[in-house]
Amino acid sequence: MSVLFIALPIALLLGASGLAACIYCIRAGQYDDLETPAIRILVEDVGDRKKTKRL
Amino acid sequence: MTDTRSQPCSHCGEPVSVMVAPAFCCNGCRVAYELIHGWGLDNYYDLRDQSVDGSIASKPQEDSRYEVFNSDAFLGISAPITGADGLMTAELAIDGLHCAACVWLIENAASRTIGWTMARVKMVDHTVRILFDPKQIQLSQIARLLGRLGYQLTPLTGRLEDHTERENRRMLVRIAIAGFCATNAMWIAIALYAGDASGVSTIHRDFLRIFGTGLGIVAVLFPGRTFFTGAIASLRTRTPHMDLPVALGLSVGTVVGTVNTIIGRGDVYFDSLAVLVFLLLIGRWIQFRQQHRAAKSVDLLLRITPRHAHLKSGSDQYDLVSVDSLQPGDIVRVVAGESIPADGSLCSGQSFIDRSLLTGESEPISVVVGDEVCAGTVNLQQSIQVCVDAVGEQSRIGQVMKSVEEAMGEKTRIVQLADRVGGVFVVIVTLLAMVTFVAWFDHGLSVAASNATSLLIVACPCALALATPLAISVSLGRAAKNRILIRDGGAFQQLAKPGKIWFDKTGTLTKGQMTAEFLIGSTDAIRHAAAIENEVCHPIADAIIRLAAEPIAAKSTESTKVEFGGVSGRSEGHRVAIGNLAFMQRNNASIDGSFVDAVNASVVSGGSPVLVAIDAVVVTAIRISDPLKPEATSTIARLQALGWQVGILSGDHSDIVGGVATIIGIDPAHAIGDLSPEQKLQIVRDGSSDTVVMVGDGANDAAALAAADVGIAVRGGAEVSLQAAPVFVSSGSLTSIIDLILGSRRTMWLIGTAFAVSLGYNIVAVGLAMTGQITPLVAALLMPISSVSVLSLTLAWPTFRESPS
Repeated sequence: MSVLFIALPIALLLGASGLAACIYCIRAGQYDDLETPAIRILVEDVGDRKKTKRL
Repeated sequence: MTDTRSQPCSHCGEPVSVMVAPAFCCNGCRVAYELIHGWGLDNYYDLRDQSVDGSIASKPQEDSRYEVFNSDAFLGISAPITGADGLMTAELAIDGLHCAACVWLIENAASRTIGWTMARVKMVDHTVRILFDPKQIQLSQIARLLGRLGYQLTPLTGRLEDHTERENRRMLVRIAIAGFCATNAMWIAIALYAGDASGVSTIHRDFLRIFGTGLGIVAVLFPGRTFFTGAIASLRTRTPHMDLPVALGLSVGTVVGTVNTIIGRGDVYFDSLAVLVFLLLIGRWIQFRQQHRAAKSVDLLLRITPRHAHLKSGSDQYDLVSVDSLQPGDIVRVVAGESIPADGSLCSGQSFIDRSLLTGESEPISVVVGDEVCAGTVNLQQSIQVCVDAVGEQSRIGQVMKSVEEAMGEKTRIVQLADRVGGVFVVIVTLLAMVTFVAWFDHGLSVAASNATSLLIVACPCALALATPLAISVSLGRAAKNRILIRDGGAFQQLAKPGKIWFDKTGTLTKGQMTAEFLIGSTDAIRHAAAIENEVCHPIADAIIRLAAEPIAAKSTESTKVEFGGVSGRSEGHRVAIGNLAFMQRNNASIDGSFVDAVNASVVSGGSPVLVAIDAVVVTAIRISDPLKPEATSTIARLQALGWQVGILSGDHSDIVGGVATIIGIDPAHAIGDLSPEQKLQIVRDGSSDTVVMVGDGANDAAALAAADVGIAVRGGAEVSLQAAPVFVSSGSLTSIIDLILGSRRTMWLIGTAFAVSLGYNIVAVGLAMTGQITPLVAALLMPISSVSVLSLTLAWPTFRESPS
């Protein structure tokens, strides 16, 4: 059971990195609009879209 | 492009020099056309073509209008920012968004325009972020392109969005942290419980407990801090607040848990503490979003007021400037059809003004030099110059907006009630915890502490704190989906029990659109009357013009004079006067007895008589009436079946009101006519203990709507209506009132049930804890179950039926 001493901190670190990513997303504004992206997914890309820069 | 051998593009109407049909000016139009065609929605072009003519004629003017999008002064906070790669980003408000197709169209338009790198549409906020290359395209060209697609760009107003967006992000970060702590603390707790059952070694147990404690402390200290600040504020203002018991529960749990962790004995509660913080924060966030949504719907309306103005800068020169840059004393020009940008007085010209945005009054009023005009009202007739007095928040419309915002920030009465109950609750729980501690002290300190802690944890009013605001928020959201905007959640409480309901007549029970009907006399006079009325913007005038039903040549406006009760002017050399009986008598027109009879008969049958006099002799009588809304009778019957006492309050003639009442099944004794707004107010205020509901026009009945226990506005501008009345039915349909009343009943049932469930949990659990039947461990398990059951109860409860669409 001594693996617990390593596994638990690692699990928490992994979780914390997920949390950090989530906070980054919130700060970057990805959660500001919860409606349009749900619609956007339904729209088919026309194929010849130019390469767009992510905002 | 202006080749004579050109034909219009099949989608946008732009001339194209290709001679095949269908022809397109660009790939974007082809895609849009094919899509619309493929869906079988070709009607779109038939419908649109009727309006396209006008827009083509006004194109040169429109094109120059977009030039201002190149000026940073005009754009204000929407001015583009240059990025590192030389591209510019601008965020603008966009009008005309309807559905997913609009998002698609705009975002695809960007990918098909050289230099316009990207567009990102936000449906909720009605904003668009535009990324473009300034070397290849100007913002004005993008604005023009979007204008052609039917979307109008305007600079952002700023303030509101910024603040709420920051707050929204802060809340989400708190929820994320609390969620992380809660979930991890929970699986550590599971490991601990499993360990207790299978005999875990002390060192592993302590290790798990230390990590659990760490997570719990993080959850309480960082995201949970907001409850402590709230509790401290409530202590400072000496008003018991739900934050107080929450903070107390959190601190006792934290202290006891930390002590137990350090001494290595007893239970730790960090999983339940973290979950508590997490759930409460989610509840708050839902509430915040609902409020914000209401605020945004008001802000969208604010965008109706113009963002730019023609500032007089020389003797005959005008600059287009942002409204924010206007100063009192400036002179602005407002051409016909434009909204007035600021409060002020008219300093040259004369015109008619549509004040419906501010007052809901659909009748245009005449203004002359020196008259006050308000921001947001529309100039209907001729170009005028306005001397600016007040801009933005200082203007009347700005004041209205401010008070609506303030009203939305206030807590509803029933939430305050929940807070009060919570306040009493925290005192009782604290006392009971002390009693428990003292009573169990004989059995040893640790048993006494354990039982007192169980009680504090299990009695944590989490569900109680969650139940009411959550139920109200959910119902507000569902009502809004049914196009019922509610400012004050307390309305649910009032509407749940039947009482008295007063209806205004015009525009509420009736359609509010006048129709004219020929009674007796010469039909030829109607032609003359229509010619005069053509110069006037007035519902009765429109009805008479419709009655004449023939095209009328434009006449000079000089001679037409609008007075109280009528209008007079010249048509084909005759002096023509149109108005009511009193107006005719005032103007000394000779009236034959048969016309007086017709007038009286018309009044009895529920219409308003209008007389036409040619050269001071009354020759024609017309009946103007306002047809009932088709759903009026069934709505009244339904309301009566629900136990409401229904009546009519109207400013119209008593006989007309009585006639309408008989038709739709209201006891004529409760149909009162000839009322001034003050009298209406008095009747509504009449101090009976029943709930008094007033249904009417947001503007004309503002006083009565505000004085009633619940005011329901069915027409008039939403801003004004929501200021006076807590409820605005934007569909204008009377059946929405039935929906609202039934929805309120269910909401109150829901709140009652949720309250009962959470209180039941707490009372049973408190009893168990006081008698030492449950350990803090069981308490910690019970506590979240009560919140979860309240949550699922609220979300599953059918408060409002789904809108038919």
